[in-house]
Amino acid sequence: MAEDLVLDTAIRDWVLIPLSVVMVLIGILRYFVSKLMRSSPSPDAKIVKEGQVIIRARNLKAGANFIPLRSFRTRRLYFSNEENGLLHVPKGQGTNPQAQMFSDPNMAMDMMKKNLSMIIPQTLTFAWVNFFFSGFVAAKIPFPLTQRFRSMLQNGIDLSTVDVSYVSSRSWYFLNLFGLRGLFSLILGDENAIDDTQRMMQMGGFGFDASKSLGAEKDGLDIIQHDWALPRFEQRAESVLRKLVK
Amino acid sequence: MGSSEKRSKDVVMSDIPTFSAENLQKNLKVIQNCRTFLSIIAGVLAGIIGFTGLTGFVFYFVVMLITSVGLMAKAGFSADVYFDSWNRVLFDGFLGGLMSFVLFWTFAYDLVHIF
Repeated sequence: MAEDLVLDTAIRDWVLIPLSVVMVLIGILRYFVSKLMRSSPSPDAKIVKEGQVIIRARNLKAGANFIPLRSFRTRRLYFSNEENGLLHVPKGQGTNPQAQMFSDPNMAMDMMKKNLSMIIPQTLTFAWVNFFFSGFVAAKIPFPLTQRFRSMLQNGIDLSTVDVSYVSSRSWYFLNLFGLRGLFSLILGDENAIDDTQRMMQMGGFGFDASKSLGAEKDGLDIIQHDWALPRFEQRAESVLRKLVK
Repeated sequence: MGSSEKRSKDVVMSDIPTFSAENLQKNLKVIQNCRTFLSIIAGVLAGIIGFTGLTGFVFYFVVMLITSVGLMAKAGFSADVYFDSWNRVLFDGFLGGLMSFVLFWTFAYDLVHIF
């Protein structure tokens, strides 16, 4: 129908740019707020010890092929021995961590804070966009989409003959939401690259369940086949030294 | 990037592949930064030039390919020294940059052509 709508410059000045700027600023603000609010959890001695044991077991798994067979077996026995091996958890004690996590006020507060700090800015911004910027064409996306997307992208615009490429400001908000992830990873340094969408995906599996991970490490150790990786290391060391001396 | 890409594989014990995990991660992060940056710039370029539709996506893939070639050249065409597999160098981060590309493409296109 309308080949090329000419849109008011005021839309560009007062909708597109402010919305993007606001979203970038909110992202930065959220990053700094989460940094400030990160309460240092008082570590429980038992949990720390178990964590360290797991790290040791993992190191053993990683370096298993570089130590002789007998040493590996000795170490593995130390970990997975039935009576007093470090990784062996008797069946009764296993189920504590889950209950402990929810009754421990610190961790519950942390989870709630993380959830809130993620959801509130999103909700607020979305409501703001809906209230102020609805009912007109905001932008034109440069590629054509099918008619099915019309209801999703053009929900403020009540004309059905307008090309689907002309979208409302709500879809500009969503486009920004996804697209600014990359920008955040560049300007905020690499550690906070994950943004809303990825954090939403991570929300599912939570809970540091110590006993399960101990059992998993023990199984992992048991499975390993020792493959002695340095069978001729004397010759190799000799050849390296010769090269250096030459 | 030359000084910041660390050798992640030990050349002496070259029979068995040993990787220094943190160097590997650092290298991957470098690749990701490159791709993100270039996808943003590609988006702005595509919008200014006025690509629409399929041409724009083709342009994005062309830019990503150029990125891959550039990264490979920087790594001296031997991915083994710096990464654990070729696929990482070539294809990692393709889709992640796509959303940024589309955002900046839309933005630039609108700024220049519609308004």
